[in-house]
Amino acid sequence: MTDEQPRTISRRALLRGAGAAGAAAAASAVGVSAEPAVAPSPAAAPPAMQPAGATAPGRVVYEQLSADEADLLEAIADQLIPEDEHGPGAVAAGAVVYIDRALGGALSGSREAYRGGLAAFERYCRSSRGARFRELPHVDQVSVLIDVETGAATGARTGFAGSSGAFFGMVRSHVLQGTFGDPYYGGNQNFVGWDLIKYPGVRTAVSPGLQTALEAGELEPNHRSAYDADNFEKAVVSRATKETHHGD
Amino acid sequence: MRALHGLLCLGLGLSLSADPTSAQPAPRSILVESPVLTSGDAMPRVYTPDGQNLSPPLTWSNLPDGTREIAVLCSDFGAGNPPPWVHWIIYGIPATANGLPAGLPILAETAMPPELSGAIQGLNGWRRPYYRGPAPPAGTPHIYHFTVYALDQPLGLESGLDRDELLQAMEGHILGQGDLVPVYTRF
Repeated sequence: MTDEQPRTISRRALLRGAGAAGAAAAASAVGVSAEPAVAPSPAAAPPAMQPAGATAPGRVVYEQLSADEADLLEAIADQLIPEDEHGPGAVAAGAVVYIDRALGGALSGSREAYRGGLAAFERYCRSSRGARFRELPHVDQVSVLIDVETGAATGARTGFAGSSGAFFGMVRSHVLQGTFGDPYYGGNQNFVGWDLIKYPGVRTAVSPGLQTALEAGELEPNHRSAYDADNFEKAVVSRATKETHHGD
Repeated sequence: MRALHGLLCLGLGLSLSADPTSAQPAPRSILVESPVLTSGDAMPRVYTPDGQNLSPPLTWSNLPDGTREIAVLCSDFGAGNPPPWVHWIIYGIPATANGLPAGLPILAETAMPPELSGAIQGLNGWRRPYYRGPAPPAGTPHIYHFTVYALDQPLGLESGLDRDELLQAMEGHILGQGDLVPVYTRF
C-alpha cells in the first residue's frame, strides 16, 4: 500500500460525506411537530445549549438508556464518528444524549429496537470475539461493526430481531442526527458537528457581505441554534411521531 | 440421459463462452493451498463472522512462466443475484508473492504487508474494500471459491474495482488460475 493511494475508505470519511447532507435534514428527521409556540419543558430541555467551549462535568444522566446500554452505544458512536485530527466526534457531540432523549420522545417507537438490538450486539461480540465490545481492540471493533452492518450477525443466534444490518442502519442514522442535527435536540453539543462539516449556522437574512464571505469559505460560524432566532417558532418533539420499527 | 448430457454440454459451453478468460489459451492450473483451509472441508470459524472474520492465509505454487502479477477472488456461486456473491477481491499482487498472510487490513490506515506492496483490495459484494467472510443462512452449506489468477503483465489498475471490472481488466492477460474451495455452514 502506498500513502498516495489509500485503498480502503475510512468509515469517518464516508460519514463525513453523509453528514454534510444530513445536517440540514436532521431536524426534520426527528419529527418536529407543526405545533407552534410551545417551548419545551425544563425537563425536556437538552443539555446542549452551553457556551461554546464548555465541557460537561461528570457523567451524563441518561433517561432512557441503562448505563450499560449508554456505554455500549457511546463506544459504537465513537467508532462511527471518532475524534481525530479533524475535530471531536460523535461522543463529544453528545450523539448518545440525543438518542437517549429522543427515545423518550420522537424516537420512542425505537426503544425496544435499541433494547433488543444492543443486547444482541453485545452477545454477538462475546460469541464471535470472546469479549464485550468495549473490551475489544480497535480493529476487532471495526470488524464487528462490519459484520453487523453487512447482516452477518443476523444468523449468529444472538437475538437480532430481523437483520443486524437494519439495527446498524438505525443506530448510524441516529448517530448522524445526534452529531449534525440542531443542538436544540440534545446532540451537536457546542456545535462540534457543524464545525466539523464547516456549517456556518442558520442565517435568517443574508447580506451581500455574508454571501461573499460564504462563497469565499470565510463565513464565521454563528453557533446559534435555529431556535435561537426570534422568528423561528419553538417546536416540540412530538411523542406521537411514528418511526419505522426495526425488524425487517 | 442423453438429453441431459446434451444440456450439460450446452450449459458448459455457454458458461465458457461467457467467461472473459475464454479468448486465450487454456490457463495453466495453479496449485492453491492454505494451512487452514482444505477444499471440501469446513472453514474454521475464525475466518468467518462467527469468529474474528479474518481473511484466511493462502499460498500458491506452480505459477506459469511469465507471471507478472497476481489477483485473488473469493466468490460464493450459491448466492448473489446474479451469482456469484463476492466476499473478497485483491489485485495488483506482485508476482514475487507466494501467498497471502492471514488477517489482511480492514482499516484504511493499516498498510499491506511489505511483500504485497502495491496490492489493492477491491470492492466486495457489499461494496467494501476488505474481506468479509461467509455467513450463509443457517443449515445451508455454501461453497467458497478462493481463486488465484496469474497475469502476464502488471495491469496498473486503480483502486475501487469490483469483480466485473476486474475480470474485464484481466481479459486476455490470464496465464493460469487455480481454486481452493472450502465449505461453511452455520448452525
